Amino acid sequence: MISVRGLRKHYKVHKRPPGLKAALRSLVHRSYTTVKAVDGISFDIRPGERVGFLGPNGAGKTTTLKVLSGLLHPSEGEVTVDGHVPRLREEAFLKKIMLVMGQKQQLLWDLPPAETFELNRAIYDVPAAQYKQTMDELISLLDIGDLIGKPTRQLSLGERMKCELAAALIHRPRVLFLDEPTIGLDVSMQATMRTFIKDYNEKYGATLILTSHYMDDVAALCPRVIVIDKGLLSYDGSLDALVQRIRPEKRVVLRLSEQVDAARLAPLGGKVVTHEAGTAVLQVRQEAVNATISRALAGLPVTDLTVENAPLEEVMSELFAENKARREAAAHEAPASESVPA
Amino acid sequence: MGMVRRYWRLLGIQLKASGLLALQYRADFFTEGITSLFWTFTALAPLFVVYGERSVVEGWGFAEALLVVGWFTLLQGILEGAINPSLTGVVDHIRKGTLDFVLLKPADAQFLVSTQRFLPWRAFNVLTGLGLFVYAFAKLGHGPSVTGVLASVLLLGTSTLLLYSLWILTVSAAFFVVRVDNLTYLFTSIFDFARWPSSVFQGVARGALTIFFTYVIPLALMTTFPAQAMLGRLPLPALAGAVVGSAAFAWVARRVWLRSIGHYTSASS
Amino acid sequence: MSFRNTMRAMPTLLKVGFAEAVAYRAEMLIWVLSTTMPLVNMVLWMAVARNAPVGRFGQADFVGYFLATFAVRQLTSSWAAWLINWEVRQGTLSMRLLRPISPLWAYAAENIAGFPMRLIVAIPVTVLAVVLVGSKAVPQHAWQWAFFVLAVLGGWAISFLANVTIGALSFFLGSSQKVMEVWLVLYFVCSGYMYPVELLPAGLRTLINWLPFRYQIGLPVELMTGAHGWREALVLLGAQWAWVAVLGALTVAVWKQGVRRFAAFGG
Repeated sequence: MISVRGLRKHYKVHKRPPGLKAALRSLVHRSYTTVKAVDGISFDIRPGERVGFLGPNGAGKTTTLKVLSGLLHPSEGEVTVDGHVPRLREEAFLKKIMLVMGQKQQLLWDLPPAETFELNRAIYDVPAAQYKQTMDELISLLDIGDLIGKPTRQLSLGERMKCELAAALIHRPRVLFLDEPTIGLDVSMQATMRTFIKDYNEKYGATLILTSHYMDDVAALCPRVIVIDKGLLSYDGSLDALVQRIRPEKRVVLRLSEQVDAARLAPLGGKVVTHEAGTAVLQVRQEAVNATISRALAGLPVTDLTVENAPLEEVMSELFAENKARREAAAHEAPASESVPA
Repeated sequence: MGMVRRYWRLLGIQLKASGLLALQYRADFFTEGITSLFWTFTALAPLFVVYGERSVVEGWGFAEALLVVGWFTLLQGILEGAINPSLTGVVDHIRKGTLDFVLLKPADAQFLVSTQRFLPWRAFNVLTGLGLFVYAFAKLGHGPSVTGVLASVLLLGTSTLLLYSLWILTVSAAFFVVRVDNLTYLFTSIFDFARWPSSVFQGVARGALTIFFTYVIPLALMTTFPAQAMLGRLPLPALAGAVVGSAAFAWVARRVWLRSIGHYTSASS
Repeated sequence: MSFRNTMRAMPTLLKVGFAEAVAYRAEMLIWVLSTTMPLVNMVLWMAVARNAPVGRFGQADFVGYFLATFAVRQLTSSWAAWLINWEVRQGTLSMRLLRPISPLWAYAAENIAGFPMRLIVAIPVTVLAVVLVGSKAVPQHAWQWAFFVLAVLGGWAISFLANVTIGALSFFLGSSQKVMEVWLVLYFVCSGYMYPVELLPAGLRTLINWLPFRYQIGLPVELMTGAHGWREALVLLGAQWAWVAVLGALTVAVWKQGVRRFAAFGG
């Protein structure tokens, strides 16, 4: 469905030092720095997949999404989306995709969302019968029946985002790019959005790429993640495998009916992460989990016991720290120029 | 006395902050300068055409009318450089609900909001206005009298005060009407009527406009009076009237402002 | 988007655009009130013409001329340059580019959709002109009306295309608002907005005939107040529409180049 080969996106950024003299000089002679937003990544995505893009701020996630949706031209490399080259912005391509950005909106601010829906119907040339069916479905699934008649400016952020999503789906895109779709929403609204997005993907077999700062979004929606860091692809595979690789240990959480001595936790095996007020968290290697549990049940006043993966946030920051250490080591060996003045 | 000194210091700090900001965008000096000269052209072009047809209009010769345009341009510089930026900020505050922060501070709110921002480069029009004075007096073939200059400097003070008070009145409306972003345009376009000597309004609507622009929206006091003072033509009672009138206007504006603030604090939850 | 599909979407674009224009009616009213320049100039010229007419203009003629100017400005103006600048800076232009219809059509539709609202201002002003000046404030014959409508359309087209071209410059300059200000000053000075073009010296008049500005305001106003015979009017209309064609080509070229740059550098 989506194929990316050796994608690079470099920007030349005009460097203007402060000061009048420098400003005048820069009119004649400009100096540039090259920013490597995306520096050679390749991946394939099959139809109907749900993929999460992860990476720290400025890693190149949004740039990649913009290249995939045809808003940015790649500096190098080949990109196809369902057989189209995005940068040509063919009508047939634009009708198949949609980009939803949590921080930018397409709804007309001072008119009710219904007007934007109508506008999109005309622009995407959606047949009347299909429009009615899609609309009914979106209204009931997102529960926006009462909202679409009110001016957009009067809606809350969550309500607006639901309508934004509806506006994006009127033409039933086959490929959906979601850039931070749940940003700023409260927890229950985030959950609603996730469920809806997943249902849409399953019902219509749409391919879905998501970037989000909320790891819960990614965990709930995306069986596969692609991690981009400093413009480079640093992981592509299942989320579970990533967690296994970075943090093979499980977390055993024990709730105890009475406070116990730290000494009594030691023989259980594994490392004590926290221990306070009747709750102890142990970090235990996968294969040792069973042994630890039986020992704990036998020797301690356990009222409740759960086994969890390490929090995704921790996994990610460890991965990024690992990448950084590797980059620094490499830079040490060969002091190559990262930014080339031109 | 300590109070006055404290407010002077506050003003100094605000001015310094704006000045430092302006220094970061020094290239703006040129772009603002060029646009200022361009806009001055729109004020002068009709004069050139008019005085191509007539040598005197309603008692004003070309060079004399130039003085009025000079005052108009100079006050525009003051308006855009010192008054507009701050007071547009108030409208922003009201819309975003951040005016509360200003009201919480232990200093006069009107003073704080009126001095929050200056755009020195925007004041380029002041230079253009001075340039027009020089050109006009060169055309007249004589300089202004000493008393004329003194009177016009006094009137510069009263004009600025009037302009500021009118602005405070406009902004006070922002507390009652929801969307006032465009009030600034409205205000500037009314100010446009101050481009010409006020006597040109005599022939319209049997002089009603002259009365309106002298007493209701005192545009005549702002540009025509100072130009007349420079020419040594302004009668003393008119000068006194301008001083008293602008003081009265400022007092009214202050009362309205305080009332609006009261309305704002009691209405917001 | 293919032309046929664009035209099919047009009615909806216009309908939604009209709904937007209605939603922003308060802003429009304020804008109308702030275009007082013709009135400012009207009082000046009335004072000039108090004792004797200027050229063929008496006091009443000036009233007719400037009220017509006021009305025509409402009908022929465009804000596209400010809008494009804003959208480029905010990055919301991306949303427009994602749609399978050229943003140029969308801007045009939004602009045209505001026409009925603008007429609500223009018609009363015209009626006022007729009351004050008499029937000579409006065209006398059917052909004059037809020419006037054509001239208003052409004037709007020039404003709109110039706005889009200058707006698209923001792709290259970051912000093109200052360029727009320069254009506006030239427009005020050269268009007949502040004085009838025919009062200018002959040399300047020839120059202005070759520039686009007078075709935005001056020509429609002159045709409204019946200043030209049909032969002369036809020549001027030809020149106006030639400018529409030239600016149209320029707009498309600059826009395409700009979008290409936008895609290379990102928004």
